Amino acid sequence: MATAEFGSHNWGMVVDVDKCIGCNACVIACQAENNIPLNTQDRVERARSISWIRVERYWEGDFPDAKARFIPIMCQHCENAPCEPVCPVYATYHNSEGMNVQVYNRCVGTRYCANGCPYIVRFFNYWEPVWPKSLRNHLNPDVTIRSRGIMEKCSFCVHRIRRVSRKARSEGHEVADGAVQTACSSSCPTSALIFGNFNDPNSKVSQMKEDQRHYTLLDQFGTDPNVIYLAKIDADKKVGAGEAASHG
Amino acid sequence: MLVPVLAIGGLGVVAVIGVVAAFVITGWIGQPIPVLGFEQTFDQPIDFPHTIHASLKQLDHVPADGGTMEGLGLDCTFCHRTVTTQANAGIPPVGFCATCHQVIGAEGNPQLTILRDAADIVGDDGSQPVNWQRVHRLPDHVRFIHEPHIRYLTQNPSQVEGTTDGVTEGPSGVCSTCHGNVAAMKQVEQVESLKMGQCVDCHRDNGAPTDCVACHH
Repeated sequence: MATAEFGSHNWGMVVDVDKCIGCNACVIACQAENNIPLNTQDRVERARSISWIRVERYWEGDFPDAKARFIPIMCQHCENAPCEPVCPVYATYHNSEGMNVQVYNRCVGTRYCANGCPYIVRFFNYWEPVWPKSLRNHLNPDVTIRSRGIMEKCSFCVHRIRRVSRKARSEGHEVADGAVQTACSSSCPTSALIFGNFNDPNSKVSQMKEDQRHYTLLDQFGTDPNVIYLAKIDADKKVGAGEAASHG
Repeated sequence: MLVPVLAIGGLGVVAVIGVVAAFVITGWIGQPIPVLGFEQTFDQPIDFPHTIHASLKQLDHVPADGGTMEGLGLDCTFCHRTVTTQANAGIPPVGFCATCHQVIGAEGNPQLTILRDAADIVGDDGSQPVNWQRVHRLPDHVRFIHEPHIRYLTQNPSQVEGTTDGVTEGPSGVCSTCHGNVAAMKQVEQVESLKMGQCVDCHRDNGAPTDCVACHH
């Protein structure tokens, strides 16, 4: 059997919220890796900024016992994705590697998928992306630049997956656990974001997924995400998986 | 009265069809890779002859000292060094050309003068790098990687189409599948359409992934 064949993986991510310090390194890494247009002030003011991953703040508990929490949120790569069936041109679909894929050259910009997504992780290019001349040589040649009128979102750094699995095939071995790192997971200083293959029961993500703190965001919608969160632990309060799931 | 009305109506229909046809044809020609024009040649800054370098056959080119001349039969990877390991085949830097051409080739050859100027062998009088025109260009949303294609075709020679001047072994033996017989081209042309249909057909025939993100990401 050939090794590292296309479709033999189920890529996914485990986010340990207890480890996340909210430093936003993942946001910057993603921005640089994926040729995301600059979020200038006017774009942010019009709520049209693009960030494939964001550290979202929310409050837990009531005053005076309220706690400020933050959680990194990216495309959850749902198995039952609400964005997929609404696309009239099949530009977003679920591929055999467990990823929700956006095909830029098919997209016609109806924005139905962004309306369908409960996680608000799909972004529409309202303008042609422009970079100052000093930044043009910083663009990643492996990632397509999305033009105006195209929907985009976290791709699980599919170009990195393709690169690593291509190298593994040419060398004739399987993709080693931890060989594929997304931009966000490789930049995380506390290793709160772990990327790996759920099909391999011995991979780090598969082991972490079994943690009793695990939950998925907006579980009640039944989207079955490929991004698993591990709940935060308070020193003064025991948080089980069921309790953690309620704040999604 | 009826006949003129019909005639005018018929003319109108013909005009509409003509406008639509013109629109479709111009749109088709204006594609990133013009289908009707892919045999177009480019004005390269140097008339680089692939025949002399890559062919193994006798050439109709007459060298300066008369007589006949055979091609060198260099492997494609001799100059396009990264084709077996990287995405791009790569154009050699002029310094690489100069390793041979600072000695080989007549002194006053105008084409070689451009090269030697660029390689800064003859003086440093404002020489410019050689601005090669790219012939095989894919749209920006296509991520084509040479390495796996060369690897697969080298392992499966039955899938190779055409030959590079009869070469069947090594990386040079497989390039003709997409690029045609470059060794016989005085100026490189695109001989295959290299549109998505052609890619998908070949991927399907050879069990390669036809998932969109295999190429589009």
